[in-house]
Amino acid sequence: MPIDTREVEKIAELAHLKFDPQELERFVGHFQQILEYFTQLETVSTDNVQYAHQAVEGKNRATPMREDEVRSSLPVATALDNAPESSEDHFQVPPVIE
Amino acid sequence: MSEIHHLSIKQLRDLIQRRDASVTEITESFLNRIRQCDDKIKAFLTVQEEPALAQAAQLDRQLASGESKNGLLTGIPLAIKDNIVTQGVRTTCASRILEDYIPPYDATVMSRLKESGAILLGKTNCDEFAMGSSTENSAFFPTRNPWDLERVPGGSSGGSAAAVAVGEAPGALGSDTGGSIRQPAAFCGTVGLKPTYGRVSRYGLVAFASSLDQIGPVGNSVSDVALLLQAIAGSDPQDSTSAARPVEDYLSEIDQEVKGLKIGVPKEWFGSGLDGQIEQSLRAAIKKLEGLGCSLLEVSMPQTEYAISTYYVIAPAEASSNLARYDGVRYGHRSADQTDLDSMFKSTRSEGFGEEVKRRIMIGTYVLSAGYYDAYFIKASKVRTLLRNDYHEAFKKVDLLVGPTTPSLPFKIGEKKTDPLEMYLMDIYTVTANLAGIPGLSLPCGFSQEGLPIGLQLQAPYFQEARLLNLGHALEQELNVQKPKLAV
Repeated sequence: MPIDTREVEKIAELAHLKFDPQELERFVGHFQQILEYFTQLETVSTDNVQYAHQAVEGKNRATPMREDEVRSSLPVATALDNAPESSEDHFQVPPVIE
Repeated sequence: MSEIHHLSIKQLRDLIQRRDASVTEITESFLNRIRQCDDKIKAFLTVQEEPALAQAAQLDRQLASGESKNGLLTGIPLAIKDNIVTQGVRTTCASRILEDYIPPYDATVMSRLKESGAILLGKTNCDEFAMGSSTENSAFFPTRNPWDLERVPGGSSGGSAAAVAVGEAPGALGSDTGGSIRQPAAFCGTVGLKPTYGRVSRYGLVAFASSLDQIGPVGNSVSDVALLLQAIAGSDPQDSTSAARPVEDYLSEIDQEVKGLKIGVPKEWFGSGLDGQIEQSLRAAIKKLEGLGCSLLEVSMPQTEYAISTYYVIAPAEASSNLARYDGVRYGHRSADQTDLDSMFKSTRSEGFGEEVKRRIMIGTYVLSAGYYDAYFIKASKVRTLLRNDYHEAFKKVDLLVGPTTPSLPFKIGEKKTDPLEMYLMDIYTVTANLAGIPGLSLPCGFSQEGLPIGLQLQAPYFQEARLLNLGHALEQELNVQKPKLAV
């Protein structure tokens, strides 16, 4: 499946990334090479095979249920410590309403 | 007595217990070693000199007054990979986007190490967000191989493996998503364990691919690795994928008889891609297993050739989702180049992430996007089931598997950096354990003609770490690998 610059730009948009033209060109090349390699998967017969939902299946699977209890969490001030910008008790972002 | 920084964790514990050395002397010795050689090795991103010495002094006082409870790792200084969060200590994941991040909490493994009495020496370099096989993808600097400074230490936990190899720390923690503990352990001549998925809590491990990630130890011997695993293993209410089953006593099981164990040798792991010197060294080591009374049986792992494709669809897919959190809002870098929220997200992420991380986010976004989801992600997840079935079939016949850790010897810095696919192929023998969720152990089995370490890998069924360490220990004693002189 060949991939072109426009498609890579579309994926970048979805991923919230941007590339300058030179970077983009290099990326398209690597992307094509990697996707080309992935085509080997098409040769594997997977009829009637369930896909792996979990890291570990069967009786070895963990993920037990727990009671839904209220627990203490990080204090607001601590949670805001690493924020690039904050105001009062909130994370601050650029305006989103015109 | 050899220098303190070349002693094993076990020997250091004995010194402390007999009061032959104070915790402060031991900590000083490792800090000295860091001062002496880390400008060449570059294993550490952060060294906790003063806090480590303060903690050491406190432990010494407690030991003198008899109020110290005898923890499993009392007074042992350790190095921790910089993608494991440490309260109040900068945790960068070797990324610009987290360059100044100070975690407000400890990862569960850190809390457990602290309870065991261990001392945090510092945080080690790695590939950015653990994405890489050489530690060249660190946003800060590459780490160097302690046996040849022109070569890579492997990755992504290259800093942890190099620090242990060179004696900057007697033990370390790393994380392994597709081989990131075992491969650098092999490249640096150390021992590294990826435990079963769920054996060690992932709470506080910065997420890369959540169905594959697992924290594990690096040490200079199998018994040190067993000791470190003992300290960190077990279920954790903060990680619902951690296993509820009890933790075995790895240290007391390590000396068990290995006679009669059936060891599988997967024929696909000795194919054309394997370096000749590695194969030769492995074959000799495998013969020693027979000498230990184990029986060898050829087995088949037919999906091996599809493992890299499967892994490099699934891991980036999970990464693209996990790394969506780096948006410049709650923590990390925020770009000044912005006109609105959307441009802030894009600029922040584009400035903050390095090339390989961007590439994986892009691959992941692509394989999850409409029109390609079935062809790539679902297909790879089905092949993952088949690969897991390979293990299931093999473990019906044998107790453990043996093979290489890496297809090549440590390569030169820069040699593979421009070809991502070639770098991905380095992970061929390690990704399968992550895709299946089983444990894998890498230990040194020899050195090449040019004096570079060669790793051997053992793998076991789910939660059979005790047997894995048991056989690893027996083989390590039998091989008695003589290490050449370090480059520093």
